[in-house]
This record gives sequence, structure tokens and C-alpha cells, in this order.
Amino acid sequence: MPLSTALPAVAVIGAAPSPELAGAANLALYSSMAVFTIAMLLYTAYLAALGPVSREGQNGDRAQELVTVAADALGAGVTRADSASGGATGAAGGASAGAAADEVAALAGPSLRARKLAGSAYGMTCLATLVLIGSVVLRGLAVMRPPWGNMFEFATAGATAAAVAYCVLARRNRWEWLGLFVVGPVLLTLGTALLAFYTEAAELMPALKSVWLVIHVTVAILAVGVFVLGFSVGVVYLARSHREASPPARRTFWETLPSAASLERTAYGLNMVGFILWTFTLVAGAIWAQKAWGSYWTWDPKEVWTFVVWVVYAAYMHARATAGWEPRKAMWIAIAGFVTVVLNFAVVNVFFVGQHSYSGL
Amino acid sequence: MSLDEPTSGQGTASPQIRQPSLGPIGWARWIWRNLTSMRTALFLLLLLSVAAVPGSIFPQRTIDPGRVADYLVDNPTTGPWLDRLGFFAVYTSPWFSAVYLLLLVSLIGCIIPRSRLHWHAIRSRPPRAPARLERLAAHTTFTYAGPPTKALAAASAGLRRRRYRVHAHDDASVSAEIGYLRETGNLVFHLALCLVIVGVAVGHLWGWRGDVIVPEGQTFTSTFRSYHTFSGGALVDPLAVPPFSMRIDRFDVRFEEQVGGSQFGAPRGFTAYTSTSEGPGQATSQQVLSVNEPVSLGGADVFLLGNGYAPVVTVRDAAGTILYRQATPFLAQDNFYTSVGAIKVPAASPKMLGFSGFFLPTVDPTFANGPVSEFPALKNPELALSVWEGNLFPGGRSQSVYTLNTSELTAVPKADGQPLLIRLAPGQTYPLPGRGSITFDSVSRFAGLSVRSDPGKGLTLLAALLTIAGLITSLLVRRRRVFVRAAADPADATATLVTIGALSKTADPGLAAALQGLADEMAGRSSGAAAAARPERT
Repeated sequence: MPLSTALPAVAVIGAAPSPELAGAANLALYSSMAVFTIAMLLYTAYLAALGPVSREGQNGDRAQELVTVAADALGAGVTRADSASGGATGAAGGASAGAAADEVAALAGPSLRARKLAGSAYGMTCLATLVLIGSVVLRGLAVMRPPWGNMFEFATAGATAAAVAYCVLARRNRWEWLGLFVVGPVLLTLGTALLAFYTEAAELMPALKSVWLVIHVTVAILAVGVFVLGFSVGVVYLARSHREASPPARRTFWETLPSAASLERTAYGLNMVGFILWTFTLVAGAIWAQKAWGSYWTWDPKEVWTFVVWVVYAAYMHARATAGWEPRKAMWIAIAGFVTVVLNFAVVNVFFVGQHSYSGL
Repeated sequence: MSLDEPTSGQGTASPQIRQPSLGPIGWARWIWRNLTSMRTALFLLLLLSVAAVPGSIFPQRTIDPGRVADYLVDNPTTGPWLDRLGFFAVYTSPWFSAVYLLLLVSLIGCIIPRSRLHWHAIRSRPPRAPARLERLAAHTTFTYAGPPTKALAAASAGLRRRRYRVHAHDDASVSAEIGYLRETGNLVFHLALCLVIVGVAVGHLWGWRGDVIVPEGQTFTSTFRSYHTFSGGALVDPLAVPPFSMRIDRFDVRFEEQVGGSQFGAPRGFTAYTSTSEGPGQATSQQVLSVNEPVSLGGADVFLLGNGYAPVVTVRDAAGTILYRQATPFLAQDNFYTSVGAIKVPAASPKMLGFSGFFLPTVDPTFANGPVSEFPALKNPELALSVWEGNLFPGGRSQSVYTLNTSELTAVPKADGQPLLIRLAPGQTYPLPGRGSITFDSVSRFAGLSVRSDPGKGLTLLAALLTIAGLITSLLVRRRRVFVRAAADPADATATLVTIGALSKTADPGLAAALQGLADEMAGRSSGAAAAARPERT
């Protein structure tokens, strides 16, 4: 294992898992959850502070001035946001004028208080993520291997991947509005991991002792992390586009979010990256299966569901490119795809009989 | 089936319109059009994902026939119906096959015309510049200090440097295009998917697998008859199975003892030290076989997929003559290796003798939870057997080596008439009055070997890698067209008015920046030019 060569001999001799380090990892995990909770509250307060859009920003001479100022920011912001989102079809290309106005209002709108809240929420999220990374590293040192050998470790690592992806992307893309929708699922995942999936720090079973654990599972974790973000943006998009289609009487924070078309492009970009990573996961898993079980594909339940996830996201990619399919309908397929990701993890590992019996439960 | 070219909606004809009648060819064309449309492909994809699910819920014959049999016993009403409908062999069932074959046809029907189109596209020149470049998605106009010919030459050079394909249809404009790889990647991805299926088919037709249990100290010589189970594709020549041999010299196992909870007793290491030979008369070499580390022999791969205990048992007749002595594999039933097996002694007299029961590597002597093992390693091994006599092989039919067929056997009771259960620790002997005795000598281990040959796996791997490469290319490359037009500047005779317009086949937020980069470079503006050019991806 690559880790053991890089670490001092003393640690290697104790190749047996270290309960002290595992305890420290758990402590870090609890601490990070506490900080995430604060971040979540701050993000909630931030969205509430966006609340009713200031009237001032929508009429009068000041509006023109704001639009000019914001348009610059928008241009820069959108270019960067979309460079991450890769190719997108023309169907979703043009934002309506109203949506653009909302977007401008979103950039011009936030009060100082809201901006401060967003700043501290983001800071807290980064802090919590750092502590979470610390927890994963400690767990790795405790077990002397990549710490993703059972469901607890995989869930923790997946949540870490989502949190890191958010922290990295949020600043450049002005994703303060997404914070609540990422920190929430991350907290939920960590809580479930601790309560339902917790597994003592231990050595791996022989089937998992392979360099492919690093390759296959790491990419799977990254894919899931990106899918989480894609799902969150997708859900926000569905709500936003519903409100755009039938505007409610009272404008709330939803109206300050980026336009539905822009959200749709972002979700597509994330899901596309997730799809590429998932394809790699599938292929790497098959290569590992060939080495470990003698056959690259045996329709083991885990293989079946990995395939199902892949096919559903493939259907999403095609639906999005099919004329006559509204982006909203396509997004529902992506949401279904994420549901299969969750099922593939939480149900297949625990309840289905197969060769991937590494849940540790 | 592409991500770029939306298909038009179909089947929306209103009922008032009298449609022309379709002949057989017309119908065939209509079916073909519909089958190869994106909507059908999308529907089939969704159907495929749903159709795959039952195979993960119901036990599958190809994976675990024993669980299928159990399911049929437990569900006498629904079981046979599910069986008839193919739910225990989902991936070879007609309905699953229908879905993926239709998808394959749809895929091929889509790729072929698109490959033809793309073939022409990559050999054609970029189209003539449109009359009004300012109507394009991105455009810019600036003044170039120099004559139009120099301006266009500079534009061509700049575009070529960016790896655009450049062509001048006339003296006043330049057309350029980039990103042909997007469609190439898309086609490679879909063609590679077909190739994956070809690779799988090759494996199914020419591949084979044999499974065998080999106790420590014994040698396995491979012929297709020597495997306990052997299954091969339709085109496999069983005589072509390589005649290698493998001796299990030593088999080391290790289980979790330090960590409690669910991890206690979990497997930690299985390593078989073997002596192998590629064939009779060939040199012997020492090879280590373990999980994740198969051994290649004579073109086949040997995998360590199972293990268990093989108690060495001796059965003697009343005169003390040895009737049976061998390491008898018992199959593990749970994670702690509670194992079941049978010892068949047809040579016994006056009747054949059979023993069946449990081997427990670590026994709780009180049997508080019944005959179950409490740890997978040999801490306190015990053999618990019942004794049967009569005809071991009723009807001469083939039977499992791990169980007794008791239809023509009677249980041998204790002297007092109570049911007899012999419990032996290693070294112990139990006398069977009038019949002889049974001795539990020692315990050895066995390795469950699986030997596989899949001539299609290389092709499948190649195809899978092509799939990834094609996918990444088709999703990340952007196809762009750039047009440059130069006209004499009415205000300044020595300068040229240059207009650049660009469009992309997909939503392309970097387009304007790329355009600006080119304009800045031509105009000799360094400020921000390099930075603006960077977002352009090819």
C-alpha cells in the first residue's frame, strides 16, 4: 500500500489499526459536523436576508446604474461559471429578459448584512471541510490504508468530496445561494454514516486489498461528490423554473438566485463531469472485478446498480439533447439518476446479496 | 443518438389530415426512422435501466443456483411464474435481450448515417463567411493598421496557431472551423459501445471456466473432466483446456481477532503457496496465489475464490483395516465457517456407511446456539456427525459430495436407541460396534480455485477505454466557426476595418473571449489578450 511506504517504520509495525487515531478521527468528525451546523444556520439566515428583494433595486434611475455595474460582474461571473459547465445545447442557451433582470437584481441586491452572512457561512463551511479532511486523514492513518473500505468510510469520504468541490467552486462561481443545499446533504450524510454505518477501524478483507481500491473507489467518491452538487443545483433549478413559469405574488430569495436557464447549465455541467467520472468508475470496477473475481462482469447487484446509474444519467444527457423534451423533464431524469446513486449505496450494499459485501455492517 | 443534434418531434399529425398510405417499404422506412430516433433511444435507455433492476433483487441462476432453488421452495405460488418469465435469468431473458438489442440497432442506425456525414464534414472546407457577421452570436469590429491582405494573413496565421482549419473563399474574407473532434469523439464513444458488446460476445462463445476444490498437499491437473464444475461457450473445444498442474503446498489464512463488533472474525488474508507446471514434463515453479493476485498458466488464469476446511478422517472396519482415509472438504455456511459435509464409505460392510454433519473450527462445547462455529480460525475444532447405513447411491444417480441422499439410508442409533451424534476433536476415535470405527486425524485446508479463460476480455477492455476517451472528447471539445472579413477603412486609407464573427454549435460561454483574444492579437493589443485567449478550449 502506497501509504505504508511513506510513513515512519514505527507506524508500519503497528499495521494493526490504531484505536487512538480512530478515536481522534471520530472527534474531528463530530467537530466538523458542529461547524457545518453553524454554516448551515448562517446560510439559512443568508437566504432569509435576501428575502424580499429591495424595491429600490428594481425601479428608478438607480436601477440603471446597478444594471451597468452588475452586468460587468455578471459577465465575468457567468463566463467562469460556465467554463466549468462544459458544453450545453442551444435549447437552454438564452435566458429570458426577465430572468436576466432577476440575475442582475441578484447581484445588485444583497444587502451588506446578507453579504456578511454569506461570507461567514462560506468561511465556516471551509473550516468544517478542513476539519473533515483532517478526520479522513486521521482515519487513514488509523487503518494504514485509504480510508474507504466500508460504508462508513465511503460515506464520510463522499461527503468530504462534495464539501471540497463546493468550497473550490463556490468562490469563483458566486454559489453562496447553493450553500444550504450542499451543507444540508453533507450533514445528513455524515450523521447517517455515524449512526447507521459506523464501523470500527480495521484492516481490509483480502478482496479489497488492491491498488484498484485507490483507483476505482476514489473516482467513485469523486463522482458521487459531483453528483451531489449536480442534484442540489438541479433541485434549486426545478424550484426556480417553477417560480419563473408561474411567478408567485410575493418575491422571496428564490427570485434573487441565478436564472433558471443558468442553473440548468450549471447542473448539466456538474452532471456531465459526474457522468464521465462514473463511466471511469464502471470501467475501473470491471477491471478490478476481472482481477479479483475472474470475470469483469457477472451482474452482481452492485454491478447492476452501477450500470443502472450510468444508464439513467446517459438517458439524461440524451433527453437534454432531444428537441421536444423540456429541460425540466430532462432534469427529472437527472434527479432519478441521483436517487439510483443513493439506492446503489444505501440499499444495495446492505440488503442485496452479492460479492460487494464490504458494508462492514 | 447524439448530444448535439436534436431530432424533430414526430407523430403529431392531426387526425383531420388524410395521410398518404404507406407501402411495405414506406412502413419499413417509418419503423426504421422511429427506431433510430433519439426519442426511441431515450425511451429504450430508460427501459433498460428499469429492466436491469429485477436481476439485482431476485437470485440469479448464473450467480447462485442454490439461492434460486431456495426461493422456489419458499415461494411455491409466485416462484414458478417468476421462473417462467425469466426473473431468475434476467440478463439472458427474451425481454431484457429485446431491449438491449433494439437499443443496439437504434445505435447502429444512428451512427452509420452520422459517420457518413462526419466523414464528409471533416474533409470539407469551412463554409463561406455569411454576409452580415454582426448577426452572429459573437462578433467584434476593430481597425487594423495595414492593408486588408495583411489583415487577413494575420487572421489566418492567428487562427492556424489556434489549430483552426482555415480557408479563404474570396479575397475579402477568411473562414475557419475547429472542434471536429467533438463529433469524432461522439462517434467513437458509440462505436466503442458496440465493440464492448462484441468483446462480451467473444467471451461468451470462446470463454470457459472450471471450478475445483484442492486440499492442501494435493495436486490438481487440469483437463476439462478434472474440474468439479466446468462451463464453456458454444465454440469452446474442451480438449483445448491447457493441461497445467498446480499443487497447493501451503495455504495460509488470517482472520480479524483484535477488533470487535462486526469486524471480529472477518477475513484478513488468504495466501496459497503453490508449485505449478505448464504441462506434463514441464519445469515446476513456485508461485504465490492470493485474492486479487491470479496466476497465469497455459493461457488460462487461476483465481483463488474460495477456501474452507478439509478434516482428515479415517474409517476402519471391525478388523481395523482402513476403508477410507482422506482430507474431506466441508463447505462453509457462514462467516465463522460452520461447515457441512459428508463422508461416504461404500466399502464398509455389512452395509455401506455414510457420515454427515458439521465441521466447526471453533466450537462452543455446550452447543448453546446449536452446532455453530464461533470463530473462523482453528481454535477448538470439532467434527459433529450422524451415522447412516444402507445404500449411499440410490438409483446410481449423480449426487452432491457434501450431502448424503438418505432415501435408502437409515440412521444408526446409540446403543440405548437414542439418536447418535458423534463429536470428535482431532486425534479422537469413536468406535462403531460391529461396524468398525471413525477417527478424526487432523484438519487441513482447501483452496477453491476457479480457472478462467476469456479471449474477449482484451477487446472489451480496449473498447471500454475507447468509450471513456470518446466520451471525454465529445463532451469537452467545442465546435466553433470563426469568420474574418476585411474592408478598406473609409476614414483612413492605410488602415483596414476588420470584422470577426463566431458561432458555436453548442452553448459556448468562452466564445466571446476567444474572439476578443484573436482581435486583440491582430490589433497588437497585448493588454489582456493572452488572458482572454486562454478560456478558449479546443
